[in-house]
Amino acid sequence: MSVIQELKQRLSQGSVIVDAEQCSPYECDGLSAYRQKPLAVVLPANVDEVKAALRICKAHRVPVITRGSGTGLAGGSLPLENGIVLGLSKLNKILHIDPLSRTAVLQPGVRNIQVSQAVEQYGLYYAPDPSSQVACSIGGNVAENSGGVHCLKYGLTVHNVLSITVINMDGETLIFDEKDDGLDLLALLNGSEGLLGVIVEVKVKLLPKPDTAQLVMAGFDSVSACADAVTSVLEQGILPAGLEMMDKFSIMAAEAYAKVGYPLEAEALLLCEVDGSYDQVKVDTQRIAEILKNSGATSITVSQNEAQRISLWQGRKNAFPAVGRYSPDYYCMDGTIPRRKLAYVLEEIEKLSQKYGLKVANVFHAGDGNLHPLILYDANKPGELEETEKFGAEILKLCLDVGGTITGEHGVGVEKLDSMCHQFTTPELEIFHAIKAVFDDTGLMNPGKAVPTLHRCAEVGQMHVHNNQLPFPELERF
Amino acid sequence: MNHSCSHTHYDAFTQQVSEQIKQAVAEQRTLQISGNQSKVPLNGDEQIDLAAHSGVIAYEPSELVITVKAGTKLTELKEVLAERNQMLGFEPPDYGDSTIGGTYACALTGPSRPFRGVLRDFVLGTKMVDGRGQPLTFGGQMIKNVAGYDVSRMMAGSKGSMAVITELSLKVIPLVEEHTYYKEMHEDEAIILMNQMAGTTLPLSGCAYYEGRFYYRVYGEHPHQDATPCDNSVWLTLNPFKPKLAPGQKLWRVDTEGPAPSIPNTLAVGMCGQRRWVVSDEPPAPYSTQWQSYFAPRHNDTQEVAKIKKGLKQVFDPHNVFKNL
Repeated sequence: MSVIQELKQRLSQGSVIVDAEQCSPYECDGLSAYRQKPLAVVLPANVDEVKAALRICKAHRVPVITRGSGTGLAGGSLPLENGIVLGLSKLNKILHIDPLSRTAVLQPGVRNIQVSQAVEQYGLYYAPDPSSQVACSIGGNVAENSGGVHCLKYGLTVHNVLSITVINMDGETLIFDEKDDGLDLLALLNGSEGLLGVIVEVKVKLLPKPDTAQLVMAGFDSVSACADAVTSVLEQGILPAGLEMMDKFSIMAAEAYAKVGYPLEAEALLLCEVDGSYDQVKVDTQRIAEILKNSGATSITVSQNEAQRISLWQGRKNAFPAVGRYSPDYYCMDGTIPRRKLAYVLEEIEKLSQKYGLKVANVFHAGDGNLHPLILYDANKPGELEETEKFGAEILKLCLDVGGTITGEHGVGVEKLDSMCHQFTTPELEIFHAIKAVFDDTGLMNPGKAVPTLHRCAEVGQMHVHNNQLPFPELERF
Repeated sequence: MNHSCSHTHYDAFTQQVSEQIKQAVAEQRTLQISGNQSKVPLNGDEQIDLAAHSGVIAYEPSELVITVKAGTKLTELKEVLAERNQMLGFEPPDYGDSTIGGTYACALTGPSRPFRGVLRDFVLGTKMVDGRGQPLTFGGQMIKNVAGYDVSRMMAGSKGSMAVITELSLKVIPLVEEHTYYKEMHEDEAIILMNQMAGTTLPLSGCAYYEGRFYYRVYGEHPHQDATPCDNSVWLTLNPFKPKLAPGQKLWRVDTEGPAPSIPNTLAVGMCGQRRWVVSDEPPAPYSTQWQSYFAPRHNDTQEVAKIKKGLKQVFDPHNVFKNL
């Protein structure tokens, strides 16, 4: 029997899709420049069907690409021609909410925003809020260790997950809990990009909803003045819930799109939000406005009510589509850098922009150093996507050179495999491959993603070299 | 082939540790990684001594990141941070000259855990030397970083069984002024109340029950007519918690759901009920760890998880140069 026949026989009706048209929505994720038709799409109706599907795929040696909502931006759930897509959208139930212990147990297909909506009646919420939160799934959030604009104060997904249940290729169940002893395997599974197991249950931490939030918006006449202002806020011991920066192009595009009153004359814009009790927010807001004024802000707006706060965020939250209106396509990068290097990095990106003849808009999670340059290009112009990718890779190299990293929250997927060769040495990459083999000795779980082969690193000539010294110079390079 | 050349970019200490490990592997000896021995006693093996590998490597207060050598004492680390109005977010227990490396190896977090998170939440990156003598770097100095598996967080709790951690980069937080209040009440009542309070916007940083009193700690002053203000010393009594025990009595650290009912013979309840200190002959609950000058491993993983841990041990220490506790 073929793998598809066996899957159809074992799983409930309609769970196995082979029809080309019905498979087409699964051909790519949020990184839509990459597309591939899978062998089949399997949508298990329950955890038993997940186990059965994995056992069948193992027996037939068929790769499994697990998929949540398909909103990932790095091609982590890009199908393989000879592999199945294991879509977990039917596992979408909130299994348990415990307001007293402030926890919720979720199936992986539950959408991020649904959690906060379901627990709002208890005055609680789920803190991580990736910008795709209306669509993205909790399972995908764990697989990518997703962030959001409130990471500085409330952490990433890994900081808000208490326990996960995963299924391996043998259909066995493994539970990783924060109460476990010894190695922190729960932390390891967060951000493992579907290479170590299929997540079928997630227990998350819920937080009390702050009484209020207030936003201070400030314009600056240079990027460095804006970055210095953020430094001053943090040095004064204030931990804002959100700290977002935009460059001139982003300000212009966002204002044209959302018309919320951003200062168009500014070279850089800062959005600084504080949340908490009414008293604390009032005190912090005044202090922040004062610090920003002393740091040379050319304009300051403090939100006077909830409607104004939400309105002022609209520009930033729509920055990507707003910038996207100026070009047929845009490519979103995800490096992180120390904030003190921001002005230098933006200057260098501007030079690269001129070198490649491609425009760039920059938005920056200023609190945690996560920089999202948006490169504008036209996929219909021959060779422009390739040039854009080269440009992107140079930006990531730049991030590494100033002490940052190639991905802050989007993950490696297929997109940043070459850049991984810059960030890690051969022994480190070997360790990563060995870790995968411990969880998945068949190598069938999302193969080829997240960690480049050593062969690939040698081929692209991006072997990680410190001080011009090759690691293991005695080894042959091919 | 040039062996000397392949290591020139590592510092002298890393090279020395690497050589020591390679030598031990060649001679089929085991090594013990040690700091100031405030928790795990020496076992007679040759030591990889990190106590002298101490000091701050880089500190950027405005980036909220500090990078330190593993042998740095907690007291020194806290002083350096306090000078810039910052602190560690995980409130580690100090068993007497405890080092940051040993604290990380044992994954120890204090009373603020339900509100600020556990030790590994603050780990941004580590440098280590594995059981082959290979220097490795995972993570970095960035608050957000999802490149590669999160080995630097995974190793928190590895208790010297996987690799020698030589450097750690940690996220730090602004120093806060805290005040403590207490109310007299029964344990069951206190367990419910602390969980109810944790669901409100009161800026809590600690909730405990000890000797008939429910204690809570808040940022800033929050006087309440039902609660009596007191100093902050109870948090040091509970962290590290070292009660006087009768001969033969066994003390257990129990991790549980916050609102779980009280366990017989509990000496103290910490972390909003998530931590119970219980005297008992046998493990009083599933997640119980016995106190033996350090926290003895539980060895109660499921077969599947035990297999994973064994596999990972092989990845980092294939020659078993480091003993499991």
